[in-house]
Amino acid sequence: MTEEPMTADPTPAAGKKGVRLSRVELPWKNIDLSWKGLRGVASDLIRTRLDKSGGRIRLLMLGLFAAYIGIGAKLVLLGLSHDQPLTLKVAADQAASGARPDLLDRNGEILATDVKTMSVFAEPRRIIDKDEAVELITAVLPDIDAKDLRARLGSRKGFVWVKRQVTEKEQREIFHLGLPGVGFFPENKRVYPNGPVGAHVVGFVDKDNIGIAGMEKYLDNQSLTDPHVAGFSIDPDSLKPVRLSLDLRVTHALRDELAAGLTRFRAKAGAGAIIDVNTGEIIALESLPDFDPNDPPDMTKDPTRINRINVGVYEMGSTFKALSIAMALDSGKVNLGSHVDARDSMRYGRFTIHDFHATHRVLSVPEVFTHSSNIGTARMALMVGVEGHQAFLRKMGQLDRLRTELPESAEPLVPKHWGELNTMTIAFGQGLNVAPIQALMAVAALVNGGNLMAPTFLTRTEEQAQAVSHRVVSAQTSESMRYLMRANATHGSAGFANIPGYYVGGKTGTADKIVHGHYSQDRVFTTFMAAVPADKPKYLYMVLYDEPQGLPEDGGYHTAAHNAGRVTGKLIERVEPLIGVAPVQEFPTQPFPLLARLGFGLDADRVSKE
Amino acid sequence: MWRLLHVLAIGALVATAVYVYSVKYQTIYASEQIVKTRHLIAKERDAINILRAEYAFLTRPDRLQALADKQLDMQPLSLHQIVKASELPEPAAKIDSIGAKLEAMGLSATPSPGVTGATPSTR
Repeated sequence: MTEEPMTADPTPAAGKKGVRLSRVELPWKNIDLSWKGLRGVASDLIRTRLDKSGGRIRLLMLGLFAAYIGIGAKLVLLGLSHDQPLTLKVAADQAASGARPDLLDRNGEILATDVKTMSVFAEPRRIIDKDEAVELITAVLPDIDAKDLRARLGSRKGFVWVKRQVTEKEQREIFHLGLPGVGFFPENKRVYPNGPVGAHVVGFVDKDNIGIAGMEKYLDNQSLTDPHVAGFSIDPDSLKPVRLSLDLRVTHALRDELAAGLTRFRAKAGAGAIIDVNTGEIIALESLPDFDPNDPPDMTKDPTRINRINVGVYEMGSTFKALSIAMALDSGKVNLGSHVDARDSMRYGRFTIHDFHATHRVLSVPEVFTHSSNIGTARMALMVGVEGHQAFLRKMGQLDRLRTELPESAEPLVPKHWGELNTMTIAFGQGLNVAPIQALMAVAALVNGGNLMAPTFLTRTEEQAQAVSHRVVSAQTSESMRYLMRANATHGSAGFANIPGYYVGGKTGTADKIVHGHYSQDRVFTTFMAAVPADKPKYLYMVLYDEPQGLPEDGGYHTAAHNAGRVTGKLIERVEPLIGVAPVQEFPTQPFPLLARLGFGLDADRVSKE
Repeated sequence: MWRLLHVLAIGALVATAVYVYSVKYQTIYASEQIVKTRHLIAKERDAINILRAEYAFLTRPDRLQALADKQLDMQPLSLHQIVKASELPEPAAKIDSIGAKLEAMGLSATPSPGVTGATPSTR
């Protein structure tokens, strides 16, 4: 294409070879400078003579073809390459914390919300003097490691964070440094105004606002932040707040009372939960020691701060007797009028089962419950048999991992070989480790009329709960359990929780902890469950303490009644008015109608020790 | 005649151009205002959010409890503070002191039949 026709021939006949050649020799001398002549030159320049330029056209086609191949190849390369050159906006958007929906408690109080903050970023390629920039920035932000910052600014990236979430004052000072290539980008910072209250349920997020634990992680699993990962930034206005089942005030009361008990009984840990037995909603859940989600700890380094209700597995002790007795009653093998022999300790091979409060006599079923008789419960479980026992516990959800919205869950420790001895010990709460929330779910089902439903941390109506629940024991068995728990509060071990004005029913549980493979005498794990009101339960309280110490004013007892029981009592007194239940002067005249027809349950409110 | 028409046409053209120009600039101005207002709204929204968070922070239960413990002399509700309406004592019989004075002065306090008034009835 370099040999353009250099002809300056003004005439149309200039195409003839001879003429052209003769003119080409000295073209500038032959240029016709007249108007007509110049026009001829121009028209000659743009004229294509197809008969002569076939080669050139082919060359042109080749050239264009090569150019298109080149463009196509580049497109393919761009498509394949992952390291796309990003514009600043896109880079910042991808690095910045995305918006998250607010978390509210059941009354609309804020549990977690987003606050806009400014973060300082730098574009290393645009910074002229990097050492000077490092010096100036570290002078304003002294908490930044100068070496680290120098390394980051020295990288070949187009976008690096200098400091996330600076204060307004810091922002102003950085701005006044006037450094080119250093800018600000608005980010969302997650704040938890209530600090540690409810922290185990709410969970927390990392620096990029990605949920790490609790309901925060649950939200992410619901693909709320997926669009952000895909490169779209979410419009904060489109995020609807998520309402949890927690009641902030009740949760605070629970934490307060638990903490008071923890100090008083010098326990290693304490935990508690309150569940609405008709809907399965967890109204409050606390596990101490806890943490501040605004400044979350590294859970892998500090396992004492785990959520003991969901993640810990424990031998629940006598609380499990409620399940065993319900099983025996529901199977029809015994009724409330039956008697069980508890005169002597029970021998099985080389093992002997004793009673903690030994009575050495034949006990009625209610007495087995109120005296918390290991022997009586073991005998009742044996009546049902190993198979029946396993089937019942499986039906009650005690042998499988219970999954709730919270990502944290634990697999129960079930004995591999389950013989008669196992059934006997598991009947009174030894030899099977379950997460406390499983036991809570089971007892809730025992008292709510016999419907088992998985606990939830989101709000749920009774109808919705009915849809996901299924019957595990008969209504009559459920009423029997309520009667037994009420009787236990009036003349049993749950007396400390029998708050006047509330129709409380409760069950204590003290499990000796296994230390070096043996059951320890002085280290115990205590639990307490209370249903309020016992005739028509609405809430079930659970409080547990790990290794509480006996106090001299309690006669040195470290059993559940003295610690977990007392705390539950205080809790009931404090929480019930909070959720709109006033104490009543007169208790229901006929709290247990089904049992009354059978002639049982009339002595529930008789306050006297046998 | 033609000249006049031309002048008119040109005049109309110029006028339309001016009008279009002004409308265009008004539109640009309006859209700038919208963007500005949007920014203001976003800013206000962020500010509201911060205030909400701050309010939640200041009214968090443990802070309120600490303040209440310090400033107020409050106690937990207990059963003996609650009574039923039927257990309230009977109100004492009302004393018609004015009527008594009137009687002492020799005037009748009881209203004459047929006359209604605001006189309290004595029991």
